[in-house]
Amino acid sequence: MSASQNNIGKCYVLVSTYLSIAIVAIIFVVLFLSSYDAFANIGWDLFSLEWNPSKDKFGILSMIYGTVSVTFIALGISVPLGILTAIFISEIIPEKYRLYIKSAIELLAGIPSIIYGLIGIAFFSAWVSSFFELPTGRTILTAGILLSIMILPTIVTLIEDALHNIPKKYREASKGLGLYQFETITKTLLPIAKKDIAGAVLLALGRALGETMAVMLLIGSIDRIPEPFYNVLNPGQTMTSKLGREIGESAFGSLHFSTLNAIGFLLFLIVITVTIITQLYFKKERRL
Amino acid sequence: MSRKLQNIAFKTFVCIAATISIGVLLFLITVLFWKGFSAISFEFLISDSSNFGSEGGIAYQIIGSVLLTACAAIISFPLALGFAIYKSEYIKNSYLQNLTDTVIYSLNGIPSIIFGIFGLIFFVNLLQTGVSWFVGGIILAIMILPTIILSSYQSINSIPNSYRENAFGLGLTKWQVVKTVIFPRAVNGGFTGLLLGLARAIGETAPIMFIATAFSGVTIPNGLFEPVRSLPTHILSLAQQATNPSALENAWGTSLVLILLVFVFSISAFVRRLQYSKNKQ
Repeated sequence: MSASQNNIGKCYVLVSTYLSIAIVAIIFVVLFLSSYDAFANIGWDLFSLEWNPSKDKFGILSMIYGTVSVTFIALGISVPLGILTAIFISEIIPEKYRLYIKSAIELLAGIPSIIYGLIGIAFFSAWVSSFFELPTGRTILTAGILLSIMILPTIVTLIEDALHNIPKKYREASKGLGLYQFETITKTLLPIAKKDIAGAVLLALGRALGETMAVMLLIGSIDRIPEPFYNVLNPGQTMTSKLGREIGESAFGSLHFSTLNAIGFLLFLIVITVTIITQLYFKKERRL
Repeated sequence: MSRKLQNIAFKTFVCIAATISIGVLLFLITVLFWKGFSAISFEFLISDSSNFGSEGGIAYQIIGSVLLTACAAIISFPLALGFAIYKSEYIKNSYLQNLTDTVIYSLNGIPSIIFGIFGLIFFVNLLQTGVSWFVGGIILAIMILPTIILSSYQSINSIPNSYRENAFGLGLTKWQVVKTVIFPRAVNGGFTGLLLGLARAIGETAPIMFIATAFSGVTIPNGLFEPVRSLPTHILSLAQQATNPSALENAWGTSLVLILLVFVFSISAFVRRLQYSKNKQ
């Protein structure tokens, strides 16, 4: 009895593990196979500008541009803001308020992205269009700003953890040397937490690259690189928003469908690379 | 500039930045609750929606979302426990350890829309399931797997080795040790992870919008392979008609219901974690 239970138990844990490993492998293979058509038929022309399925033109350069620029804007706003807010929570305010503010921020990290999208549509796009006097508020900049707000809680929480985990003695030693608090923070604490900060940024990068719903509602969904390319007050398209908008409309098995899968596959590769770099970087010390 | 002035300038700068970010986050919460409460009523919660969602309530959307998350929980919890126990108790070589780590972190990093595409190709088209809530549940289960695994694994890993050695010393077999010493802790830690996972799963739109949901015309499903309506996809369809004020008002109401459901899950997870860290001390 005991021996057979032993085997059944081992079987259960073994099957769960290999099933989970198989799922990742299946996702990879399925995505690759269904985008194979696009890679074989379109080849390097994928990286061109024109997207027009009815003329068999499948260039995804403008979507790659959109993803890069939206991510760049989002990180450009949220990383500095996040670091300063983390310093405020960990170093400036009294310890007893720290937990409250932190739990509140962690709760905010859980707001679903579709709700950010709704807030963006109801407020941000109107603000952007009236502030810059644009015909439409659905621009690359709007999507980038909203995305920066979405990843802010994650960045603040992770960096605040890193700062707070630095032992008290460093602060005391630096105070004992007669340094002001800002010198303690910039010369002692930030260099110690450097690695964790980089990790937090990488994690936020992965999230920003893959964010779909809010970006899709706000970016305007036009497959074009603005002129000049840094004019982010124009509508654009990201890889994810393209997928969200079009995959439901394309016929299964068509070249159109396959190209959309190729976009997904590329995104998958990029995000997995970022994830694995993060993992190597952290050497599994970090919780998710 | 003197060091004293620099110090003051730096602190002011930090305070301004913190005010901006905390202010923005406060703004979000205020808007959601203020707009939401004025749109919500008991009637809204129990009636069917009409006119593409701009009128009526969200009864079937709530049922659909609960169905999807319950399905995800039932599928992923046992799988994650098995994975966590195998990873911590059975795997000895470092190659396999690294492989399982990579699997967990990859699953956690994959963008949610990719899960949706995978579900669309693999289940809806290749396996011919059609648009189905059951498939949506499976996809959400895969998505929350890493959260549960990690939480459960951390909890098992904190069991001192002497407990295992004592149990073996009493002559228990490997499975008896797992069952009596490891399993209760795995379930306990995994449950916290499950709550966190469900908080994420219930709000996800991208993975389910092609494979599990329909915007209107469906009620309670009669079988496994039928679509449902859900809260996040309902918000999506209402957000696309945002120029219509009554659609927008219903969107705020739906958002508030969704966010309260998310908070129920995440606050219970926080409370459990807090209790656990108190017990440890």
